[in-house]
Amino acid sequence: MVDEKKLQDAVKKTVSRDDVKYVVGYEKGTYGFQVTPSFAYDPKDADKFIFSPLCVYNLAVFPMLEEKPPLRKDQEPDTRKIGVVVKGCDARAIVQILQEKGLNREDVVIIGIPCTGVVDPKKLQAQFPENGKNMDIKTGKDNFIITIDEKTHTIAQDKLLDEKCKHCEYPTPILYDILIGDEIKATKKEDYKEIEDLEKKSMKEKWEYWEKQFERCIRCYACRNACPLCYCKECMVDQLSPQWVRRSVNLSENTAWNLLRAFHLAGRCIGCGQCERSCPMDIPLMQLNKKIEKEIKELFDYIAGIDPEEKPLLAMFKPDDPEEFIL
Amino acid sequence: MADDFEPNIIGFLCNWCSYAGADLAGTSRMKYPPNIKSIRVMCSGRVDPIFILEALKKGADGVLVAGCHPGDCHYQSGNYKTNRRIMLLKKLLDELAIDSNRVRFEYVSASEGQKFAHIVTEFVDDLKKIGPNPLKEGGT
Repeated sequence: MVDEKKLQDAVKKTVSRDDVKYVVGYEKGTYGFQVTPSFAYDPKDADKFIFSPLCVYNLAVFPMLEEKPPLRKDQEPDTRKIGVVVKGCDARAIVQILQEKGLNREDVVIIGIPCTGVVDPKKLQAQFPENGKNMDIKTGKDNFIITIDEKTHTIAQDKLLDEKCKHCEYPTPILYDILIGDEIKATKKEDYKEIEDLEKKSMKEKWEYWEKQFERCIRCYACRNACPLCYCKECMVDQLSPQWVRRSVNLSENTAWNLLRAFHLAGRCIGCGQCERSCPMDIPLMQLNKKIEKEIKELFDYIAGIDPEEKPLLAMFKPDDPEEFIL
Repeated sequence: MADDFEPNIIGFLCNWCSYAGADLAGTSRMKYPPNIKSIRVMCSGRVDPIFILEALKKGADGVLVAGCHPGDCHYQSGNYKTNRRIMLLKKLLDELAIDSNRVRFEYVSASEGQKFAHIVTEFVDDLKKIGPNPLKEGGT
């Protein structure tokens, strides 16, 4: 498990630097198992930083949310860096943003944490619905040790582990400035089993399945706002002329939105699952993202968020790209 | 009902090859179904998947995107990039149970009026088999 003292020291050292604006990490939430993002503008803020299996959220979104207001004539722009505490998967989001030149490498300080897997808050909530004050969870050898008011429960990892962690191929951040602890070797492999099961269904079954899912969508766009890679200045759904997606909530518009969202992340989604986690209607958005990820791997032999120097998938081509039609 | 179903096709034709190809089909008085409504774009690379989806959403039964042959693109690589995009879009449409045969990407050069007429005829036949578009607004 990650040494929190080391993490706090690293954060303190980073915040004390003159060229760093703040560091974003995790702190304990108000009640229950909650964990919330925490901002350290001062070295003493770093004392509340934690890292536990509850830290499932992707913080790579914060450097992208940074507002850049227009400057006065002789005002200097704020070029200070932002520190981010990242897990293996979150680091891939940063790599992908760097690849698209959404950020420059010198804009961020990456504090990497080798991660052995985090829990799915929804699964945890289902097993332990109580909302106490003294609740904690730790990773054991192959289980999670949960303490609720001094009572200890142990539970197998498989039962609580987040979906993304079950097939995690990059537990150690690919890119980091400071690494807390030692690197971890990947032992799991992505097998796309769930996606293949869905592919086997007939057209009619698929339509019924997705109709049921998309009917529930309320188009709150939480999936977009939570996603570290949805950072367009103006999203296509907010555009009024031309208005690509109308504001009415009906199956046709919902399907269009979900399809477009998934397509805009084609070759960019790094599978952190933040969209699905933030969805208030529990729509399985990751199934769409994973489906594209799988196709891209098969068709173009490309994995998103691995190499910051590579060109984005849809902005390049290879002469030997497969073609489905005859010339 | 199914017998007199006339599919609506939106065609995105590239200015340099396919639009001229379609023009040639017209000027040489080749016969092809009138179901296609052509929209001229400067390059097939201009066709954002959002256009295709918008067409399907507004009730088009099929969308044809036509561009220059590989290596012939006026802008060097537009058609290659469209190829990648459309291929992915088709996979995604299939996943969402919208028949991906509704979207078609073809290479039509300026001299291939015959080919253009043939593609449109074939596409209309295919779409008649597939039936009306379920994504159409107002009805499912």
